Formats: sequence, C-alpha cells, structure tokens
Amino acid sequence: MAASMTASRSAATTEARWVRWLLTGLALTFIGLFLIVPLISVFFEALRQGWGLFAASFTDPDALSAIKLTLITAAIAVPLNLVFGVAAAWAIARFQFRGRSVLITLIGLPFAVSPVVAGLIYVLLFGAQGWFGPWLAEHDIKIIFAIPGIVLATVFVTFPFVARELIPLMEAQGSDEEQAALVLGASGWQTFWRVTLPNIKWGLLYGVILANARAMGEFGAVSVVSGHIRGMTNTIPLHVEILYNEYNFVGAFACASLLALLALVTLAVKSFIEWRSARLAEEDRRHATEE
Amino acid sequence: MSIDIRNISKRFGNFVALDNINLDIASGELLALLGPSGCGKTTLLRIIAGLETADAGQILFHGEDTTDKHVSERQVGFVFQHYALFRHMTVFENVAFGLRVRPKQTRPSESEIKRKVHELLELVQLDWLADRYPAQLSGGQRQRIALARALAVEPKVLLLDEPFGALDTKVRKELRRWLRRLHDEVHLTSIFVTHDQEEALEVADRVVVLNKGHIEQVGTPEQVYDTPASPFVYQFLGDVNLFHSRVHQGWAEVGKGRIAAPGAPDAPAIIYVRPHEIDLSRVASGDALHGEINHIRILGATIRLEVDVEGHDAVEVELSRERYSEGGWQVGETVFLTPRTVQVYTPQA
Repeated sequence: MAASMTASRSAATTEARWVRWLLTGLALTFIGLFLIVPLISVFFEALRQGWGLFAASFTDPDALSAIKLTLITAAIAVPLNLVFGVAAAWAIARFQFRGRSVLITLIGLPFAVSPVVAGLIYVLLFGAQGWFGPWLAEHDIKIIFAIPGIVLATVFVTFPFVARELIPLMEAQGSDEEQAALVLGASGWQTFWRVTLPNIKWGLLYGVILANARAMGEFGAVSVVSGHIRGMTNTIPLHVEILYNEYNFVGAFACASLLALLALVTLAVKSFIEWRSARLAEEDRRHATEE
Repeated sequence: MSIDIRNISKRFGNFVALDNINLDIASGELLALLGPSGCGKTTLLRIIAGLETADAGQILFHGEDTTDKHVSERQVGFVFQHYALFRHMTVFENVAFGLRVRPKQTRPSESEIKRKVHELLELVQLDWLADRYPAQLSGGQRQRIALARALAVEPKVLLLDEPFGALDTKVRKELRRWLRRLHDEVHLTSIFVTHDQEEALEVADRVVVLNKGHIEQVGTPEQVYDTPASPFVYQFLGDVNLFHSRVHQGWAEVGKGRIAAPGAPDAPAIIYVRPHEIDLSRVASGDALHGEINHIRILGATIRLEVDVEGHDAVEVELSRERYSEGGWQVGETVFLTPRTVQVYTPQA
C-alpha cells in the first residue's frame, strides 16, 4: 500500500533524495534505539543465564500466582469493557440526547487521568479509611488490597478502548442498514445481532485487543490498590517490579519478556486486522471498477 | 392497499417539516412526492413507513389506523436513497433477510427462501449477481437489489426515497422506465420521493407537489404541468419567464407590447410564460413584445435564446433545432415575441 502511494505521487510533490534518506534514516535510528534495542535486551537479559533459569522463573509459585491473577483480571475487565463499550458507542452514535457530549468526554477521562490517581480514587472510596470502608469492614468485604480492587482499577483504566474505537466507526456507517432491517420486519435484537454486530466486529476486535493489552500490562493504578501481597495480589507487572528490586534480574526479565511477548502478539493481531480491512476495501474497489 | 394520510404535522425544533397534510392514495397507484429539498417530502415518506413519528395526525392503511404500529409490523417495503444494503451479506442474503428474520411459525423453509430470492433476483434481472457483495456492484445494480430486498417481504406498500438520486443521468432514465414497467406488472401501491420534476412527470400516475410542509397541488402529470395551481408549481415544473405587470381590462402591459390576460381582474399580476411557448418574429404585430437577441445557446435538441425585452429583464425563448435554423436568428437582431400560452396569477393583497 505504501509503495502504491509513493508511486502515484508526482515528482512535483517529492522531496530531494537526500532529504528523504535523512528523514527515513532519522526515523529508523530513533525506532531502533528506543524501541527495538530495549525489546531485544529484555529477551537477552531473560535468557542470559540459560533456558533452565528462564524456565524456572515461571514455575515459581509466586510467578504462577501473578500470571493467574493477571489472566483473571483481564478475563473480567475485558468482557465488561466490551459490553459497556458497545452500549456506550451505540447510544452515542445512534441517538441525540442531552449530555451526549458530556458522556463522550467522560469516556475519555481514564486516558487523561494518571493511573495512580485512578488507583487512589478506589482507595479513597473503598479503603479502610475511605467513604465505604467501615461499612465494607462490617460486612467482611475486602476490595482494596484484594482482587476486586485490582479488577476495579483495571476496568477503570481500560474503560475507553472499545467505546473510542467504535464511536467513529458507527457514526461513519450511519443507521441506514439498521433502519432497513427494522422495515424488513427484524426485531431490535435481531437487528443488533445480524446487522450492527457484523458491521462493527473488526473495530470491536481491535478495541478488545488493545483493552486486553492494557489490562494485562497496567501497573500504576493496580499498584496503588494491590498492596503487593506475594502470591495473593500481585499481577505480572507488579511481580516484575518486586523481582527487580530484589536484584533477581533473570526472574524480572523473564516475566517482563512474557509481557513483551504479549505486546508483540497484540501488534501482530492488530496489523493483521488493519491489513485485512485494507485488503477487503481494495478488493471491493477492484470489483466495482470491473463493472 | 389504499393509504389515507390525515392531518399529519411534524416539527423539528422550530422548523415545521409538515403542516397538516391530508392525502388519499388509491390502491395500486404510483404516486410521486415532488418538491425542493427541505419541503418535507422525505419526512412524510418516513412517517408513512413508521421510521419517524408524526406530532399529530393519523396514517391509515386500508382504512385501518397504523399510527401506533411499529415499523417492523407495518409490512412496508422501503428503498433508501443510498440503498442501505447490508454490506457484510451477499446479494442473496440481503434479499433473503426479510424472510429469515420472521418468527419460526411463519418462516419459509430454506428451499422456499432460495426459490423466492432467485425469483426476485430474476425480476430485477440480476440473478447472476447472487454471490456478490454490495460493494462489488454498480449504483444501478445496488438500487435494483435494494428493490428486490424490499419486495421479498411481500409488502402492502412500496416506499422509495429518492430512488434514483445518486445515479448518473443515463442509468437514471433507464431505471425509471424500468420502475414504471415493474409497477405495471406487480401493481403495488407505491410512493416515491423525488426533487426531479422530469422523473415525477414521467413515472407517476399522480404527482403531489410539496413546498415548505404544504401540499401545493395534487394531480396527474398533465394537470400539474398544464394547469399549475400556484406560481410555485409553475416555477418548479420546468423553466419559466416571469413578468411583473398590472392587468388592465384583460391586458397586461410589458414595455411597448402587451400580453393577453383574459378574465384576470384589474390588479398587479405575475405572468408566467414557458420558454418554449413563445413565438419569435421579425415583423412587428400589434401586441408583441420588443426585444433584442443577446445570447444563443445550443442545448442539444433545443436552442435557447436570451432576449432583452424592453421594460423587462432577459427573457428565455426555446426553439427546436428546425425552427431555429428556419429563422436563422442572429445575436443582436431585433425580434418580436408573442407568448402562445400564459398563466396569470393575481397575488392576494
């Protein structure tokens, strides 16, 4: 695609050769230094003392528990996000109502607020000294320094991903197809499953993947509410920090490499979705011009 | 099925989209809602379909009040301006949609659906496109698929919103003739919205001219074209020359000439003359308007001359190619104009 774009560009809008080389070189150097070298170093450090130690880092019960907690958190936060994101995007893209712009702003809030603040909000609400603290203590419900707090903080920081991905998509697609489905006798539910969802599925998947990456990798907000109890309330990012502070570099980097791997997989899936939709659009154009 | 529209009104904020509309549509009729953009024609169509709710008034299908019936229960076929085909479904699945979403008891079997969809695709002459996706079709093909999809649910009424609006002129002309033929075959009560007077006059049995939320005139294409009920209808249905004058004893004076206005009261008046209903001559007759040709434009089969008339702005005159070459008219010539038919409106004081 990039090749076809440069090919179609006329000579008049092309920069001199040396400018192109310089800018491309600068960009590549920057990416190499700040992205690729660190990524390689993570895997290099993790494997520095051989596969044995690397593998042993994952069989450690604390590490296993951290991995398990991370998976549980993502398994709760991502579906919640999916349902909320679709509902919010639907409401915003399909209806004009009072407070619509306020809702759009609110959805973006978790991106604007520092994750630490996000964590502190929950401590303030549910902590021992917080607003609901005494009531929760009375009923023997633990939220802060326990799994519910971690899930809450994760849901908060991943809040915008799905909704933000879907709102522009649904606004661009309009509601004509849904209206057509209704006129053809479909119920609201049938319209959603057969028309709305298939049209947004790739955007939805994209949002879910990004939300998942963030849910598994979140540090700040989770760190505040977790209490860092080993084998209990540590997620992978928190576990990495603890190991690192204890000079257990192989362990720290081994767990970090797990997160880095997740990032790579996320990127790959993301690129695949982008490539696929670009290819589909290209195919449609070709067919349409064949007529 | 007949449709009665009773006292329908609709506002959007301060904007009055429809103001007390009353209209009866006979069973099997093909009706055009014609008007400029913003006249309320699409809103009226959407209210009939149930996609929009009226602030006041009723819609009756075959004498039965459907005002509170949900859009999915009205059994109407609706063709959207931009087709609104389901982009992730093949042409076949698009047409089959209305059958597949039916409740289990009334849903046809898979083989029945298949038979029906192919029958409809043959009706719109696009059976060979069944496995394509909407994005792979041309505009005209999409429009015909949208029509097949609307017909699949065996609607009692077919509603079309600017059905040919997004197509180029040639395809448009083909498709509207095709729609007329289709209607003559299936005889479904149909209403289509358009802003193109040619389209309305060519296709419809009856034309409803709308302006600013009001009905200006309802009539056959001949009626609305030949005897427009209001200056608006006259102006909207084709090009027109306007003369502001005063009627005195059956004559309206324009410069040195005058136009016959028999029967019109003595009062200020607006006189409408269509460009192709003016005779040109080099010989002065008693009443003819004096003018000078200042522009000649060749528009395919017709020639348009712009004539500066004394005591008036430029007047447009349209001649057929033959009459133009017979006359041998030149720019700068002095000519005399005699309108063959005029329409005189006396504005109510």
